[in-house]
Amino acid sequence: MQQRNKKTASPSLSLGNFASTIGENLLNDAKISTRDVNVSYGDKQAIYDASLDIGRNQVIALIGPSGCGKSTFLRCLNRMNDTIGICKVSGKLMLDGEDIYAKKMDPVLLRARVGMVFQKPNPFPKSIYDNVAYGPRIHGLARSNAEVDEIVITSLEKAGLFEEVKDRLNAPGTSLSGGQQQRLCIARTIAVSPEVILMDEPASALDPIATAIIEELIDELRQNYTIVIVTHSMQQAARVSQRTAYFHMGRIVEVGDTNRIFTNPRHEMTENYITGKFG
Amino acid sequence: MNNTETVKAGLKKRYAREKRFQFYGKAAVMSGFVFLIFLLFDITTKAIPAFSITEILLEVPMDRSSLGLSTDTSVSIDDEAIAAIDYAGLVKKSLRSQFPEATKRKDKKLLYRLMSGSAEYELRQLIIDDPGLIDGEPLSIWFKADDDVDTFYKLKRNTSRIKAQQVEFIASLKTESRIRTALNWDFFTNGDSREPEQAGIKGALLGSFWTLLVTLMVSLPVGIAAAIYLEEFAPQNRLTDFIEININNLAAVPSIVFGLLGLAVFINFFGMPRSVPLVGGLVLSLITLPTIIISSRAAIKSVPPSLREAALGLGASHMQMVFHHVLPQAMPGVLTGAIIGMAQALGETAPLLMIGMVAFIVDVPDGVLDSATVLPVQIFLWADSPESAFTALTAATILVLLAFLTVMNALAILLRNYFERQR
Repeated sequence: MQQRNKKTASPSLSLGNFASTIGENLLNDAKISTRDVNVSYGDKQAIYDASLDIGRNQVIALIGPSGCGKSTFLRCLNRMNDTIGICKVSGKLMLDGEDIYAKKMDPVLLRARVGMVFQKPNPFPKSIYDNVAYGPRIHGLARSNAEVDEIVITSLEKAGLFEEVKDRLNAPGTSLSGGQQQRLCIARTIAVSPEVILMDEPASALDPIATAIIEELIDELRQNYTIVIVTHSMQQAARVSQRTAYFHMGRIVEVGDTNRIFTNPRHEMTENYITGKFG
Repeated sequence: MNNTETVKAGLKKRYAREKRFQFYGKAAVMSGFVFLIFLLFDITTKAIPAFSITEILLEVPMDRSSLGLSTDTSVSIDDEAIAAIDYAGLVKKSLRSQFPEATKRKDKKLLYRLMSGSAEYELRQLIIDDPGLIDGEPLSIWFKADDDVDTFYKLKRNTSRIKAQQVEFIASLKTESRIRTALNWDFFTNGDSREPEQAGIKGALLGSFWTLLVTLMVSLPVGIAAAIYLEEFAPQNRLTDFIEININNLAAVPSIVFGLLGLAVFINFFGMPRSVPLVGGLVLSLITLPTIIISSRAAIKSVPPSLREAALGLGASHMQMVFHHVLPQAMPGVLTGAIIGMAQALGETAPLLMIGMVAFIVDVPDGVLDSATVLPVQIFLWADSPESAFTALTAATILVLLAFLTVMNALAILLRNYFERQR
């Protein structure tokens, strides 16, 4: 909060003559493409003219200071903002060429395709098994209990949690440690076989060891899923992502390959942020 | 004076203030406790006599001439003949043979008044159940004494209602061990009666049970459904604000108004019968609904948003989110509201007077459409009765009401703990 005040107070941190996003924000054959997205909560505009493409089977990190709109942007991608009545989204958001905000796009179906992992591990107050089985069950993805078993086991394996919990699948999910809970949440998301996984600061509530495990997992998951991760940690962005988008005050300032962004940022704001001058 | 000294100087005052506050708190708790103990002690001591009853042993002759039947043994005795036997006369005859000295009309009358009116019905039932008793040996049966005799014998308290002659009769019975006090099972197995020694609470107890069953069946689902709709699905606009204010106000409306409403709507408009648990339960549902809705909404509101997001993020529909995750999580809070509402309904008297559940009903109700009364109304009725024996019955009924409440709450708390373990 303090940082935010400092940011608005200091003129050198304002965007100045912001024209448009710098760098390679657009791609050919994107999994998700967004054009001129504006989001506002009532009178307060949270995102201005965001245009960003998200590539297939790669990890894109959204970085930026608190309140810059990166979480809001993320939540537009599977319409989680729908639950907030005052939230208005305009612009074009396409998932494989389908308009995410089209009338005929069912948010339930969309969220089955674009899964989400939240900042705080939020397993259901049910058993580990039921946590993972819930998604396949409500979507009718399994025809028999044996199939559910199989989905649960493969999902837990993919999330790297199976070995740790195989003897206590009936224990409540909330009895796991924070890092395990977060991997359970990832397993739960994978169980629905989404195409895209959105992660909102998935490791911010975890210790360094649990964080390392999650990061390794994200790298593995990239083979099969498109991943969008919001993070506060620049090191994490550097470690897990192939592309990075820098958000500032509701605008996407700069987008590019992660290596390029961290070694050779073009915009002054990006440089200030990644060199730790603020944020 | 430096800072340390200033702080030190004020410390004593601060501690004294804390001590004083603690004292007030303890005094408040203690006084509440003392009142509760006093109340329970008073009710219990008053209730104890209701659980015992005075009985008198009578020798009832079983030969045909005493029973007023044909003495011709070849004539078989049919049901009609048994029904026609003068059982009251039989009881009186037994009493007379016990006290042959009572020959004057006045004495006989006093003698007969020793026994409860129930003696003849008991005797009749006995013979109908087993006609083989006829022609057999004289039966020795403990019959209930009249309530005045009961009060006199049990509590050793002489009222003007027991005459000197009767005191003598009782003394003579006592020397022959023909009078005793026994457990008053009839208090639990009989319906209401004008005679205190025959009056029981089974009718009121079952009346309360049926009424509360209807209340629970109606108010819990309707209350939860309303709470879910208002909290999760209803659009936020003036209409829902208006509804919310009205629900909060309804919780404060005097219950007798609901009784009048029930009378007007259920009985006069829909033509439902009077005095039945169905209507009573519906009226009580109206009273408990606001309580259940308000507490359920609070419970639903308190479910953490992260849980909702988890469900929605997986692609659960709004309805699935509510029923799979929010409601189970809110269930303990919902049940707490239900407990409070049902306890309120159990103790409610005034609205039931309005719909005729105050009528004198002897029969035990077998369902929600049988005329009945409920425990608090039974207390009200008996507290109003002139016979002194009803005082004990009133107190005993209060104890039963408290026990009913305790059992009900214990069940609800068990259920709540179960749901709490589930989450």
